[in-house]
Amino acid sequence: MIDLRSKNKPLIGDESYRAREATRRRKEWFWQAIIFVLTIALLYAFGQNIYENLQARDIRSGFAFLSDRSSFEIGESLIPVSSNDSFGRMFLAGMLNTILVAAVSIVTATVLGVIVGLMRLSNHPLVRFLGVAHVEFYRNIPLLIQLFAVYLVITEFLPDSFDPLMFGSLVMLSKAGLHFTVPHHLALANVCAFLFALVAGYFCRRFYIQRVTSLMATLLGLGAGVLAGLFIWFVFGCVFGWSQPKMDGFMVSGGAAATPEFLTLWIGLTTFTSASIAEIVRAGILAVPQNQWRASEALGMTRLQTISYVVLPQSLRLVIPPLASQFMNLTKNSSLAVIIGYPDIVSVGNTSIVIMGQALEAIVLIMAVYLFLNLIIAVVMNALNARVTAAPK
Amino acid sequence: MQTKLSVMSIALLGLAVSAQANASSTLDTVKARGQLICGVNTAAPGFSSVDSKGNWTGLDVDVCRAVAAATLGDAKKVKFVPLSSPQRFSALQAGEIDMLARNTSWTMTRDTTTGALFTAVSYYDGQGFLVPKRLNVKSAKQLNGATICVQSGTSSEKSLADFFNTNKMKFKTVVFDTTEATQAAFFSGRCQAYTTDMSDLAGARINSPKPADYEILPEVISKEPLAPAVRRGDDQWYSIVRWSLFALINAEELGITKANVDQKLAQDKRPDVQRLLGASEDMGKMLGLDKQWSYRIVKQVGNYGESFEANMGPNSKLGLPRGNNNLWTQGGLLYAPPIR
Repeated sequence: MIDLRSKNKPLIGDESYRAREATRRRKEWFWQAIIFVLTIALLYAFGQNIYENLQARDIRSGFAFLSDRSSFEIGESLIPVSSNDSFGRMFLAGMLNTILVAAVSIVTATVLGVIVGLMRLSNHPLVRFLGVAHVEFYRNIPLLIQLFAVYLVITEFLPDSFDPLMFGSLVMLSKAGLHFTVPHHLALANVCAFLFALVAGYFCRRFYIQRVTSLMATLLGLGAGVLAGLFIWFVFGCVFGWSQPKMDGFMVSGGAAATPEFLTLWIGLTTFTSASIAEIVRAGILAVPQNQWRASEALGMTRLQTISYVVLPQSLRLVIPPLASQFMNLTKNSSLAVIIGYPDIVSVGNTSIVIMGQALEAIVLIMAVYLFLNLIIAVVMNALNARVTAAPK
Repeated sequence: MQTKLSVMSIALLGLAVSAQANASSTLDTVKARGQLICGVNTAAPGFSSVDSKGNWTGLDVDVCRAVAAATLGDAKKVKFVPLSSPQRFSALQAGEIDMLARNTSWTMTRDTTTGALFTAVSYYDGQGFLVPKRLNVKSAKQLNGATICVQSGTSSEKSLADFFNTNKMKFKTVVFDTTEATQAAFFSGRCQAYTTDMSDLAGARINSPKPADYEILPEVISKEPLAPAVRRGDDQWYSIVRWSLFALINAEELGITKANVDQKLAQDKRPDVQRLLGASEDMGKMLGLDKQWSYRIVKQVGNYGESFEANMGPNSKLGLPRGNNNLWTQGGLLYAPPIR
């Protein structure tokens, strides 16, 4: 093609190509810039419209309410809150509750999902059947119904709160929840245990990384970390004393509690998501070429060794992106907590809307929290994915 | 390239000009539609509940029917929209409903910040506690440390916190989205007490598996005047809803019932009665309605006392006493301004 811009000497070959590319890129940028400006203008117009409508109907707007006194209590929280604290602090407590249940459920759902996924690939027909049953049952019933059912069972069949089931004097089980003994200075103990667990897990992984596969080393590190954390808890308890749960009028004083709401959400989210994760794991394993299995067999590895050292590591490439998706689904599904009375961010938001009347701002805050949590999951999983799919050095 | 740009700019302009909501009056909208859209509760026995055939009954339902009878001439031309607590004000603000009669407590925050305007009190209620009898609790002040079931989206949570703070007691809440879930959790034993308006507590107790095992504590911890609400900015509609409710109350005060309204129209020569039944002066003109507006209300719906008796009175399932919800001449708080 002859470039007509330069009338003196038509460009040919490489120069012509470069000139055409430059023009094309300029045009692309021009149109993208126009669309970008129009999008911003549209969003601004929407925002302006909303603001004017709110003003016209005398509806209060703005985020000033976050420093007002909240005047409501919530059922459980990781940080101490009361009705005298601000709305901002209440939202923070709700967000921490969401993070707690989502984080714990992600861990257990993954573990259970991997196990069930492997069960479906077993040689034994009964094990396979159990795997299929688990997946089909928990995947096909809506999570809302499952949560209702679990909550009903838990609250009906747990012993009455005035007549709890005691396991020695360490654990108390009743309709008020699962109360267990914890060391005094619980917050400090938790922080120390977490840090020590991280350090112990890291060094354990480093020790094993030369001897077994990376995945096995990570799992061993995780296990060592959990044991280390528990050890620190035990040390704190011996040094500072234990806080045991005891009935004190209507409430239980001492100890820490997992309320029926938390347990319901944990169990419900775990079983529901584990079904999907099991299928993802199965798909990943089946995607590994058959020859890998045959070669391992030829080398004399057992089935378990094959899966641990050869197949699972290779399946990770296929498994991690959908797994990220499932983790995000789990986090979003935790918003169903409002149905069973768990005080997560949506529940706190709903109560706040009633008390201070600004539905729009509360919903925006809730959306921002979920966006933030899911973006963190996305970033972490993308980094993991990059590591796993990196070309061999 | 020129056409692409112009098309896009025209589209954007169209969007930008598209609109502020049209400000025609609610009365005109209702008349044009031929139906009143009323926001009610999903299931509040005595106030608004629906049976298996789709018939709505209740005090709030009757208030809506009164407004329909006054404006459209037929108390049956009402569409009931069941709303949950968090949705109710948004639905009113957005124009999805014409009025909200959903046993909603009239508080200063709601009256000023939600874009709603409360008309007049239809039921004087208060918040109380329902506890199982086996707890042996005789007063709400003995509930220190209790776990209390409460429904989100109601004014109950705030009053609860205020009561416990004033009396320096601690408590925990378990908050649910729907009335059904809250009551199910309380009756399964998850919480030691259930708090909401006294009228709701009576309904909950009736619906429980063993009503005799539960009792309502004597303390009334907050004032909950339930009132129908309308959108801000339409004064005429506000007056219509307000005076429809006042017509119901005035009818009871003057002794006019559904059964004797025609007889009273013919025979009772008291000026108040004549005005209420549209026999002498045209009071409806001042509201933008016709002369028979209040006659239709009594003829098609009845008076306040009849509605109360049928829906929640001592002889109904709920069995609530008139108490504060009696006429001022009978020792209660219902005092409607005169229609004159």
